[in-house]
Amino acid sequence: MAALPSAPTSPTSNGTALEVDGISKSFGATRALSAVSFAVRPGEIVGLLGPNGAGKSTAMKAVLGLLRPDTGRIRVLGRSIGDDPVGLKSQIGYVPESPSLYEFLTGAEYLDFVADMYGLPPERRAERIRPYLDGLELAGHEDALISSYSQGMRQKVALIAGLLHRPRLLILDEPLNGLDPRAARVVKDLVRERATHDRVGVLFSTHVLEIAQAICDRLVILDHGTVLASGTVDALRAQAGLAGSGLEDVFLALTGTGDLSDVVAALGR
Amino acid sequence: MDLHKVRRLAGVLVASQLRSGRSTSNPRSLFGQPRILWVADLVLFLAPVALLGQSFLARAPPVATAAAILNGLAPFLPLSAVGVVLVAGTLFELSATARFSGSDAANWLPITPGEYVAGSTSAIAFSYSPAVALLLGIALPFAARLDAWPLYLVCALLSAVALYEGAFLVEMVRAASQRIGAAASGRRGTASFVLRAVVLVLVILAFDLALNPVFLFAAVHGLATLPAITAAIPLLWASQALDAVASGAPFLAAAFALGQLAFVAGLGVLAARLRSRYWAPAPVEVRLAEHVYASPHPWLAALGLSRTESALAAKDLRGLLRRRELLPVLVVPIVLVLLLAIEGGAFGTFGVILWIGWVAGFFGLLVGASSVGQERRGLQLLFALPVTDRDVFRAKTVAALIPVVLGSALMAVAIDTWFRMPPVEIAASLALTVSVAVCLVLWGLVFASRFSDFQERPRPQFVRPGPMLAATGSGIVLLAAIAVPGALAITGPVSAALLPATGAAVAAVAIGTLAHRFARTGFARLFRELPF
Repeated sequence: MAALPSAPTSPTSNGTALEVDGISKSFGATRALSAVSFAVRPGEIVGLLGPNGAGKSTAMKAVLGLLRPDTGRIRVLGRSIGDDPVGLKSQIGYVPESPSLYEFLTGAEYLDFVADMYGLPPERRAERIRPYLDGLELAGHEDALISSYSQGMRQKVALIAGLLHRPRLLILDEPLNGLDPRAARVVKDLVRERATHDRVGVLFSTHVLEIAQAICDRLVILDHGTVLASGTVDALRAQAGLAGSGLEDVFLALTGTGDLSDVVAALGR
Repeated sequence: MDLHKVRRLAGVLVASQLRSGRSTSNPRSLFGQPRILWVADLVLFLAPVALLGQSFLARAPPVATAAAILNGLAPFLPLSAVGVVLVAGTLFELSATARFSGSDAANWLPITPGEYVAGSTSAIAFSYSPAVALLLGIALPFAARLDAWPLYLVCALLSAVALYEGAFLVEMVRAASQRIGAAASGRRGTASFVLRAVVLVLVILAFDLALNPVFLFAAVHGLATLPAITAAIPLLWASQALDAVASGAPFLAAAFALGQLAFVAGLGVLAARLRSRYWAPAPVEVRLAEHVYASPHPWLAALGLSRTESALAAKDLRGLLRRRELLPVLVVPIVLVLLLAIEGGAFGTFGVILWIGWVAGFFGLLVGASSVGQERRGLQLLFALPVTDRDVFRAKTVAALIPVVLGSALMAVAIDTWFRMPPVEIAASLALTVSVAVCLVLWGLVFASRFSDFQERPRPQFVRPGPMLAATGSGIVLLAAIAVPGALAITGPVSAALLPATGAAVAAVAIGTLAHRFARTGFARLFRELPF
């Protein structure tokens, strides 16, 4: 397997890769986010956890400038996303939960298009893209239309599209969806490698708590649009009063869904 | 604005469009590459030049004739460019499946709204450029005969600008239809659907009226007598400029041409602002209400459907009013009825009854034919459920019959009353219309169950093109077999009504029975094996 490319080391910064400061967002009567604050430092992987509908994807879209928060402030690499959305998007790699790709392009055409949008010179594209295609076992499929790809293959294309321009901030919304165990392992290791060696800040949303526990330096737990808790796994255990417990128990306790025996009993009837 | 990004985005959108419409989407095929449109432009431009040029060499038309043709054609060209782009673009954009029409794929890339709009409009303009190339090819020999090169060149330039004019308008309609519904009522799905339906009805109606000779004559006459008004309509400035060139008024021509350019630039800015405002799609809002689960469709049960069949039918009925790809199915009959109301005075009672039958039959055929293909790959879920082919057949039949029978009956009564028909004729027309509608729904189901197209396409075709053509052709014959004798029986003398009335009734029963049988066996076949 060819080695996956690594990003150039960014200048050491004492600042944050991402700073979300008290953002709120409502859709009509529904309050999706309420005074949400968290930060991602360069080289840090922050897990964004929460039940379905907690506001994770809304927060990520706000970070990307796709949604304008009603109140609060978002700074990416020290700058407000609203001041220079295009310039900052060039520094962000985003992998959405359900990637919308141009279905009637081939994988290679799509990645070439994305590389163009990020201003990657044509002569450097092949050397950037090829290792990803090999590493994620997409080689040999790159000339087929994306519409013929499986969910996992689409996810791999979206991952490559989010990584190939070597962003300084990665926003990954359920990035391991549909991936086979080997590809999932490659992606997890790659994300960790980017964070450790290249000082890339990573915001990582997942429902798989084992993955969050294994890969994230800190966790932010959202529920009903508010931050319930944040910190390292140990800090969250302490906060939940469950020292020595697994993250699943901690998560369920913090989100107020610790005792599920009634639910299971009702469903078992 | 980064023109390289604009060009690349336009190329991607055109390639997607070209490939998505083809049954075999080989990305390497020339027909899947944007350059095929250059080839089409060239062929469509050169073909009339060659054909007309040859006949000009043999016998050149008199100068006066050539001048009359060119002076008539040139001002029409930019206007037709706007019309073609606006109508085709709006139709396709508004009926496109959500996953293909969204611009999500570009949302997180470093592209400004202006670059996206420029790329998208370039793709739209380029896609419809062959129509303009054809007209310019027709005009060229006449311009050569008259040596009217300034007029020709200005015409070509303004026609190209007009392509963008139409494309910007399409982009604005797309942005507006995405979100105005939400702003209007907060209930995004329904409001947005209604807005799209209204826009679609207006566009098709406008297009029909624009091609209607009687209406055109009145409009041109009106415009000719009101020059001050035409000068105030920006959409006509290109035509005014070409008129001015033809009549040797260069300053007036320059003023109108510059006005046209400024207007189109303004549209571009507006389109980019709308895009910017509605840049991100609104997240889906899920509302959960607490209630005890119970079958919510007692009225479907009252029609004799089981609980399973009721649930399947209710799903389809909801989809008919929510799924944007089904929009044309609903809109086309509305347009046809409106046209009848506008122009129907000249048809006479026989013509009106026949038209109503035609609309009802066509509506029934479309709804019936789209019943199965609309499932797309979701059909796999149906197969996985504990339902039989009989359940699905009965549910699909009822779900198609309810809107068609209700809509047709309402239309028949409203239109007949509008034309002041006596109650007996209204009742007879109502019976005829409903009979036609039921038969054609069943006929549509025959094709839906046997020839559905389950592929994901930007504009779903529900039934494969060849069989759909056969469905339409045979449907018209069957429709005529019931509606013509029926209309004759209603409008003819009472003494001569028995024979055609019997003929219509026999035809309806025979066609309905046969179609029911074929559709039923079609569903049984469909359930033996997944069709993909």
